[in-house]
Amino acid sequence: MKKKLLSLALAGTMVAGMLTGCGNKNTPSQPSQPQQSSAPEVSSQTPEVSNDDIIANLIANTNGTVQLTVWASEEDQEFTLGRIEDFKAQYSDVDFDITLGAKSESKAKDDILVDVEAAPDVFAFADDQIMELVAAGALQEVAATYTFDVKTANVAGSIEAATIDGKLYAYPMTADNGYFMFYDASVFTEDDVKSMDAMIEAAKKANKKIAMNVSDGWYIYSLFKGAGYDLTLNDDGTNSCTWNAAGATDVAQGILDLFATGVFVDMTDADQATAISAGTICACVNGTWRAETAQTAWGENYAATKLPTFTVAGQQKQMSSFSGYKLIGVNPHSKFVGWSMILAEYLTNEETQVARYEARGLGPANLAAAASDAVQNDPAISALAAQAAYATPQRVGNQYWVPAQTLGQILASGNSDGTDLQTLLDNAVDGITAPAQ
Amino acid sequence: MKAEKDQKSENKIKKAAFGNALAKGDIWVKLSTVIMGAGYFARKQFVNGILMTAVQIGFILLVVLFGVPSLSKFDTLGDVQMEQTFDPLTLQSTMNDYDNSFMILLTSVITLFFIFVFILIWIWNIKLVYQLQLKKERGEHINTFREDMRALVNDRFHITLLALPTVGVVLMNIIPILVLIAVAFTNYDQKHMPPSSLFTWVGFDNFKNLFTNSITISFGYAFRKILGWTLLWAVLATVTTFIGGILLAKLINNATTKWPAFWRTLFVIAIAVPQFVTLLLVRNFFANAGIVNTICSNIGVTGFLQNIGLVNPRLTYIPFLTDPNWAKAMIILINIWVGVPYQMLIATGVLMNIPTDQIESARLDGANKFQIFCKITMPYVLFIQGPALITDFVKNINNFNVIYLLTQDVFITSDQLLANSNAKEVDLLVTWLFRLTNEYYNYKMASVIGIIVFIICAVFTLLSFSRMIAGGREEEYR
Amino acid sequence: MKVKKTISMIGTHLLLTILAVIWLVPILWLVVTAFSAHPGINTWRFFPESYSLNNFYRVLFKPDSVLQYMAWFKNTLIIAIFTCIVSTIFVVMVSYAMSCMRFNGRKGLMSFSLILNMFPGPLLMVAVYFVMKMIGLTNSHVGMIIVYSAGSGLGFLIVKGFMDTIPTSLREAAKIEGASEAAIFTKVVIPLCKPIIVYQIISSFLIPWGDFVLAKLMLNSGISSDFTVAIGLYNMLDKGLIDKNFSAFCAGGLLVSVPIAILFVIMQKCYVAGVTSGAVKG
Repeated sequence: MKKKLLSLALAGTMVAGMLTGCGNKNTPSQPSQPQQSSAPEVSSQTPEVSNDDIIANLIANTNGTVQLTVWASEEDQEFTLGRIEDFKAQYSDVDFDITLGAKSESKAKDDILVDVEAAPDVFAFADDQIMELVAAGALQEVAATYTFDVKTANVAGSIEAATIDGKLYAYPMTADNGYFMFYDASVFTEDDVKSMDAMIEAAKKANKKIAMNVSDGWYIYSLFKGAGYDLTLNDDGTNSCTWNAAGATDVAQGILDLFATGVFVDMTDADQATAISAGTICACVNGTWRAETAQTAWGENYAATKLPTFTVAGQQKQMSSFSGYKLIGVNPHSKFVGWSMILAEYLTNEETQVARYEARGLGPANLAAAASDAVQNDPAISALAAQAAYATPQRVGNQYWVPAQTLGQILASGNSDGTDLQTLLDNAVDGITAPAQ
Repeated sequence: MKAEKDQKSENKIKKAAFGNALAKGDIWVKLSTVIMGAGYFARKQFVNGILMTAVQIGFILLVVLFGVPSLSKFDTLGDVQMEQTFDPLTLQSTMNDYDNSFMILLTSVITLFFIFVFILIWIWNIKLVYQLQLKKERGEHINTFREDMRALVNDRFHITLLALPTVGVVLMNIIPILVLIAVAFTNYDQKHMPPSSLFTWVGFDNFKNLFTNSITISFGYAFRKILGWTLLWAVLATVTTFIGGILLAKLINNATTKWPAFWRTLFVIAIAVPQFVTLLLVRNFFANAGIVNTICSNIGVTGFLQNIGLVNPRLTYIPFLTDPNWAKAMIILINIWVGVPYQMLIATGVLMNIPTDQIESARLDGANKFQIFCKITMPYVLFIQGPALITDFVKNINNFNVIYLLTQDVFITSDQLLANSNAKEVDLLVTWLFRLTNEYYNYKMASVIGIIVFIICAVFTLLSFSRMIAGGREEEYR
Repeated sequence: MKVKKTISMIGTHLLLTILAVIWLVPILWLVVTAFSAHPGINTWRFFPESYSLNNFYRVLFKPDSVLQYMAWFKNTLIIAIFTCIVSTIFVVMVSYAMSCMRFNGRKGLMSFSLILNMFPGPLLMVAVYFVMKMIGLTNSHVGMIIVYSAGSGLGFLIVKGFMDTIPTSLREAAKIEGASEAAIFTKVVIPLCKPIIVYQIISSFLIPWGDFVLAKLMLNSGISSDFTVAIGLYNMLDKGLIDKNFSAFCAGGLLVSVPIAILFVIMQKCYVAGVTSGAVKG
C-alpha cells in the first residue's frame, strides 16, 4: 500500500522528469549541459533529480526478489563479486539474488548466441562481438542512463565501439583490449624498438625470438592496414577489402621476409605466455592481459611500447592495430531489464573502473579514471595510448576472420606451395568479401 | 521357433484388414472411429474403454493446446518479428508476442509425429475392436482387464520392455533427427537466427550449395576433400589399432616373454587416464612451442628433418599438429597410442580362448608360426571381432573427440577454399559440422552434411549388419 | 638353438621396453607436471625445476571461480550413478526383447535402431537442447541424466549378442514350469548375464566423465560449480587460463583417473568374458 502511494506521488514528478530525461537523451553531445558535466562524478552524490526519482520509482515498483545472472571473466570473479555486494548494499531496499558466472569476454558470444533467451542478464564481452550480438537481439539498447552519463564519461572510441547504427548498445568497461608490443629492455634499446628490422638484428644477437600471431585475422590486419590497405565494413554486413590491390604483394613479401629471418615467429597468445616465461622470446605483439606474465618474467627489463615499423618494398611502414574495448551488455530478454541496466551502469561507473584498475591493472575506459597518475604511468596502458594514434576501431564483417587466418597461416609457414602472391591475396580477398553464407 | 509360429497364426486373425473392419463392423465398431473407447464398453471391457478414451482426449488436448498454434504457422515458420519496447521512465521492457521459427518447427514436428502415432493407434484400435466383435459373435472368451495386464508380462512382455526405452529414443533421437532433417530445407543460419530473426523454407537450395563450386561457395570442394579424409581416417584408425592390438597381445603373451601381467599393466596405465585428458595433454606435448619441439631442436632432430625435406626449412619447429600432412600422420599415430592398449586387452582375451587343438594339428602338419597366425589365429579373431570391427569403423567415422581435441584452436588451414567453407584439412565430417553449428551457426548446411553422413553410415551399417540380423547367426550358438 | 632362443627373448623384451616407454612418456609428463610448482606449461624441460603438492591442494581444498573440483566431482558422480542405473535397465530390457522374444517387426525394429544410432551426435545437440528447454530441464542434473540415458536403448547390440548365446532350452524349461516371461527375464536370464551387465553398468557410468560437448551446451549457466569434471577441466585449458592452470589440470586429470582406471579394468574383463563366451560354445 505504501509503495502504491509513493508511486502515485511520484507520478507528478515523473511528468516533469520526462522532459529533462528526454532532453538529456536527445542531446548527449552537448557537454555544456550542467547535468552532464556533473555526471562523471560519483553518481549517488550528485544525482539528477529526475533520474533519482526514476530509480526511486523502480525501487518502489519492485516486488519480490530480483534474480539476475551476471557473467564476468574468470579472472574478474573476485573483483566483480565484491562490486555486486556493494551494489546490493547501495540498493538495500530491494531483495537481490545475483549469481555470478564465469565466462571469458572473448567467448561470451559463443554461448549467448546458442540460446539468447537463456543467456545471462548482464554480461561482459569484447567489442569485436558486438555486431553479432546486436544482430542476434542479445543486447538491450542503452536508451537512457540513470546514475551517470555513459556517453560523456567514457573515452570516445569506446562509445563508438559500443554504438551500432547510431544506437548505443553497451556500457564500456575497459579500454585496453587492443594490442601493442611488450619487450625485454635488456635486449633492445629504445631506438631498436622503433623498427622491426632493428629489433630482428638485436634479437638475433641475443638468440631469441620475436612473436606475433600473424595466423590470426586480428593481428594480420596490423600489417596490411599499416601498409595502407583497407578493410571496411559495408552496410549489408559484408566487407570491402583492398588487400589484393596493386602493390599489396609487397606487403605479403614483407611478411614472408620477416618470417624468413627465423627470428620473427608466429605464436598463439597462449604459446607466447609460456614462451615469455621460458625466456625464448624477447618481444611480442600482445595485449594488456599478458602484462602480468611479461612483468614477472622480465622484471626490471619489462617494457612496452607502440608497434614498430616494418619494411614494405624498401619503405618503413608503421604497423596499425585494432583498438579494442571490453563492454558490458544487458540482455533484452531479461525479466528485470531495468535492474540489469542499473547494475551494468554500476559495474562500469568511475568508481568501479578505478577499483578495477587497482585490483587487476585493466585500463579504464572512463575518462576520469584513466586520468589518474597511476594509470598514466602504467607501461602497458601508455604503450596502448601511444599505439592509439595508429589504431582503428574494429568494424569487420564475420566473413573476414577465417580467410584472413588462413592467409596468415600460409605466409607464416613461408608460402611453402610457392603460390603466386597475387593469386594468394586474390583468393583471400574473395573469401573476405564473400556474402555471408 | 514354435512360439513364433503360434504367434503368426494368431497374427492372421489380427490382420483382418482395416477396410474390412470398418465395413463389416457393427455400430460399436463404427462408433469407435469417433469415440475410441466405444467398442470396449460394448464388450464390457470398461477399463480398456476408459483408457482408450483418455488417450484420445489427451491427444486432442495436446494437439489443440500445444500443436495448433505452431502448426498454423508451419507453412511460413512464423512472420512476427521480435520487437521490444523499453520505457526509459519506468525501466520496464515489453516484448511483443514474437514468433520463434525454431520453436515453431520443433513443436510442429513433435505434433506431426504425435498425429502420425495417433493415426497408427487409431487404425490398430478399430481392428482390435472389430476382433472383439468377432470374438463375441463366435462366443469366444473376451479377456478381462486383469488378463490383458497379465499378457503384458507374458507373450506381450516385449511391449512392457520396449515402452520406456522407446519413449526415450523418440525424445532424444527421433524428434531431433526429424527437426534437423527439416532444417536442411530452411535458411536457418546466422543471418536468420531465432529469436530475433525468422527463418523459412527454401526447398533444395542448400543441397545445391553442396554441389556448386566457386571460390566463395566451396562447400562441394570441402565436402569431397573431407569425405575422402574421413573414410581414409576411419579405415586407418580401425585397422591400425586392431592389428596393433593383436600384435602387442601376441608379443606380451609370447611363451618367451616374462611377466606378461606386468607388461600388460604398463600399457593399461596409458589408457586409464580419461581420453579427453590425455588428448588435451598430448596436444600441448606436441605444440609448436611445446616440450617435444624443445627437445627435438636441442638434440638436432628438427635440423635433421629439415635436411631431408620433411620439415619446411623456414620453420624453427616441427609442425606436429599445424601442418596438414604432419597433423594427419600425428593424429593416426596418437590414435594408435590411445587405441592399441584397449584392443590389446580384448585381443588377449580372445586369443586365450583360441582352440589349441587346431594350432597343434597345424604345427604337426609343419606350418610355421607366420602361417599359423595367418591361417588360424587371424580368421578366428576376425570371426569373433567382426561385428566389433564394423562398429569401430562406424564409430571412427564419427570420432569427434580425437580430432576435435587434438586440432581445435591449434590447426589452421592453409587452403583458402576450405577456409571459405569453415573447414580444415584434418576435419572429419562430424567435426566440420560441429564447428559449422557451434562457431558459425550455419545450421542449414550442417544439416545437409549431417544427412549425407547419416546416409553413408546407414548404408555401411545395413550392409554389414544385415548378415548378422537376417542370417542365422543369432541362433547359431543355441 | 639355445642361443637363438635367448636372442629372441632379449629382442622381445627390448621391443616391449621401447614400446612401454613410448606409451608411458606422456603419462609420466602428466604425473610430473601435476606435481610441478610451476602453474603453466613447462616447455623448456621435461621434469619440473621444483616439485610441490600445491596443485593437489588447490584441486581438492581450494575451490575458486575456475577450479571447483569437488563440486564437479560430486555433480558428475550423481549424474553418472543415475545415468548408469537408467541406461543399464533400458539396455537390458531392450536386449531381452530383441534377443529372447519373437514378435512382429522385430528385425525391422533392430535395423531401424541401428541406423538411428548413426546420425552424427554433435548435430543433434542443438535440437536436443531445445527439447530439454521446452520441458524446462536445462541446467539441471535431471536433464543431464535424461540426455545421457534416454537414448541408451539403442545401444543394445553387445548385451543382445551375449543373450543370444544363452541356450533356449533354459528358458523353455522355465516356461514349462509355468514361469511368466517376466519371471524368466528376471530369474533366469539376468543372473546368467552378470558379466555383460557389469560391462554395461561401467560403460554407461563412464559416459558423463568423458563428455564435454553435450554437457557444455546443456549446462550453460557459466557457473563453475554446476559443471561436470570434463567441462571443468576442459575450461581450464582456455587460452586465457592455461598458463595459470595447466599443472592443476594435470593434477585434476590424474585424480579422476584413479577410480576410472579401476572401473575400466573390471569393465574390459567383463567385456572379454562376454564376447568370448559365445565363441567358446561355438
